[in-house]
Amino acid sequence: MLLNLSLRNLFRQKRRNLMLGIAIGLGVTILIMASSFSRGIEDIMFNKIVTYVAGHVSVNMNEGLGKRVPVFRDKERLFSIIKKNVEQDAEIDESFGVFTRAIGNGKADNMILVAIDTSKRYTEERKKEVRESFNVIGGSLLDIGTSAVANAVILSRDRAESLNVKKNDVISIRFRNVFGQNQSERLTVVGVLQNDNIFMQGVMFCELKNVKAMMGYRPYECANIHIKIKDPKENAVRVADKIHSALTPGPAFIAGKLSYLSSESEVVVIPFRGDDDSIRLIGSSFELLDGKMDDVLLRDGVMISSNIADKLGVKPSSEVLISYNAKFEKERGSFKVQIKGVFKSDVYKGDNTIYMHEALFYPKFYDRIPDLDKERARVSLPEVLLSLPESTNKDRSNTFLPEDLNKKRASALGLTDQAYFKSALGNEWELLDRTRNTDEMRKKYAAQARKKIRATTMDVNSMYESASDVLKLESVLNIITLWAVLILFFIILIGVVNTLRMTIKERTREIGTIRAIGMQKRDVWGIFMIETSLLSLFASFAGTLFAFVLMWLLTLIRFNVTDNPLGILLVSNHLYFLPTFGSVLLNITLILVITVITAYFPARRAANLSSAEALRHYE
Amino acid sequence: MLRQIIIFTIVISTMVLSGIDLFAQTSVGSLLSSIENLLQMNSDIRAKVNITQQKVGQGTKNMEMIYYRRDSDDSFLIVFSAPESDKGNGYLRVGDNFWMYRRNTRTFQHINRDENIGGTNARADDFEKRKLTELYAPALDKQGKEILSEELLGKIEVYKFEVKAIVNDVDYPKKIYWIRKDNNLPLKEQSYSMSGTLMETAYYPNYTIVDGRYVAVKMMFIDEFERGNKTLVEISGISTQKLEDYLFTKPYLENLSK
Repeated sequence: MLLNLSLRNLFRQKRRNLMLGIAIGLGVTILIMASSFSRGIEDIMFNKIVTYVAGHVSVNMNEGLGKRVPVFRDKERLFSIIKKNVEQDAEIDESFGVFTRAIGNGKADNMILVAIDTSKRYTEERKKEVRESFNVIGGSLLDIGTSAVANAVILSRDRAESLNVKKNDVISIRFRNVFGQNQSERLTVVGVLQNDNIFMQGVMFCELKNVKAMMGYRPYECANIHIKIKDPKENAVRVADKIHSALTPGPAFIAGKLSYLSSESEVVVIPFRGDDDSIRLIGSSFELLDGKMDDVLLRDGVMISSNIADKLGVKPSSEVLISYNAKFEKERGSFKVQIKGVFKSDVYKGDNTIYMHEALFYPKFYDRIPDLDKERARVSLPEVLLSLPESTNKDRSNTFLPEDLNKKRASALGLTDQAYFKSALGNEWELLDRTRNTDEMRKKYAAQARKKIRATTMDVNSMYESASDVLKLESVLNIITLWAVLILFFIILIGVVNTLRMTIKERTREIGTIRAIGMQKRDVWGIFMIETSLLSLFASFAGTLFAFVLMWLLTLIRFNVTDNPLGILLVSNHLYFLPTFGSVLLNITLILVITVITAYFPARRAANLSSAEALRHYE
Repeated sequence: MLRQIIIFTIVISTMVLSGIDLFAQTSVGSLLSSIENLLQMNSDIRAKVNITQQKVGQGTKNMEMIYYRRDSDDSFLIVFSAPESDKGNGYLRVGDNFWMYRRNTRTFQHINRDENIGGTNARADDFEKRKLTELYAPALDKQGKEILSEELLGKIEVYKFEVKAIVNDVDYPKKIYWIRKDNNLPLKEQSYSMSGTLMETAYYPNYTIVDGRYVAVKMMFIDEFERGNKTLVEISGISTQKLEDYLFTKPYLENLSK
């Protein structure tokens, strides 16, 4: 009966309720549109921009001390480690963005060459996403995979005009390859991007394998890695932490043959670090039988164990040849070094070992990396490479600790005093600590620059560090949306309260009558509550319908935002809304709850009116 | 006597005809070492450097800087004195540490060795002391012979030879030199990219002698990739007096720009 009464009351004051319904409906419309737009932006940010700019998780390498040489010499191993630590459907890609000077038909401009791997099997969903993100006139971005022309590229319409090139024209580019050498290449234009947004204007897209060859990478080497995962907001940090802990390096060494005059010996070459603490540790841990420690600790310092020195007659200033099996090259790695000192062999330092300054060691090591797993099984390594348990190897905090702390650490582990110099030895690579935001990351890089690490540094970042500026933009847009919604709620709130107050006032005598004929307070309250709820519900459904129609209409409008950075918020020059069933339901529920709460107090006031007082009421 | 004349004639004509024996003393390796010895300064250096850079569509830019270098501890200091917009800015390197100083903000910033200096094509590591023979070795032709010939550059007799990089850490993997026959000083140098494209031609028309070593005081770099770009480098006021420690410090660079 209450429902019938409420419905009848709704239709009794058609105009007022219609106006209030329109207000609530419009509120719902705006709320749904705002949240859909916000979700659209979030989708663009997380799954399009961040994916292409930095990946949800990234693994970044740098092999050059004081230079940018993003290369890792064992792609297979790195990919295998990453694959084991991400979901099966995660996308793992190498990332390249090469700054170039490009010359087209009589015109020159700066361009960024970006690599895309078209040989990967893309899902239909991904292909659709590529089509939406990269709208190529009369073709597809995947056309860069063609082998019919040399180094096929697709570039933006803006740059095609500035270089005066069109499809099938040739562009010459100058750039620096991975080692910093000046390089030039010829590219063939196979398509022009229609995208007008400012971030796409200076970009040329080229097949990954072509870019790698141009940049001087060997087939088994890789550049920085970008990883795309599902639900990055939730999972990015967790996945980054997991990959980080799996990338703990082992000790670096080269196991091979040492040749001097006509004699040969098995040898294990081990690098020592060049930072001040490590140099002090090495200086105090080794006893030289021949040569000067000052010479050994220089950048070209090399010391050999007394065991080999005695066996082969090697002395300080002798030049020895070291050769070893490389993991990927058929040709054996080999290099000559001049011995600066002879140290007293022992079980920890090894009988057949050479210790070498990292500045001398790593260029040889990375040029032709040895298969360390195979070598570990083949040769007997000195105790110092085996003595510390794996858990300690993982504890990189000991790397730059002062001498006495390392002694304490070694002592706590029950090792002899000699073993603590392990912390002064170099690893396969140097894993940088994880950070949680861009500021921490910058501080880490500054500290790293001071340490002068000569091994390849490896850094694992989530999007919260590497793409924080993009994410900040999303936060700002969310805050704007939130404020708009709050203002909207305020307007609705005032509207509902005002309407109910007026209704109660108008119906005071009526309330008195129904209370006099026996209706309970609770029922009076119920009538008003149901009435408001029904009004909100009908208005919400109408508002939702209207929101979808409006969003559809808005997506039909094409925006030309050539020089506006906000163009990144468009997909193929159109607004992008992403409504979900959950978000629509949530929005309707939210409106219902707000109107019900708003109606609660006026309804209670009406219910609490005494029938005598109400009947005496006159307008 | 006749026999002696015949033997002498045979020996000389064999040498002249084969050419190779005469060249045996003039190998590319020895020429590289010679260039290195002639040009390598062993003392501290202070010099004024003027750079005139001409770029297509951007006009001409003049830069002036004072350059201090001390190889004993891998230090150098570059301070800009012109143009006005760059005046007081500088670059300081001490060992492995490399900073860029900006006068406007009065801040030092750690930079990479591959960073460009003052918006020019010159990189920080171009100012490092590096031996030519440690970077390049003779290039060989299909027969395995060094690519070396004699020719005239204008009216000057020169050796022309090709070298290839033996390390990755160089600007160009292949170079061709034209060096004077009479004193082994480079006159012209062409630099090629890995793909074999001529990228830059350099001319060294003027040298001066400082402490028994030659210093190129005028250099012209022609950009062969983007035609029309060229850079002229002129060095003057060269001093080889010992440089004091305080020069290679941050406070000195800061004070200079006050």
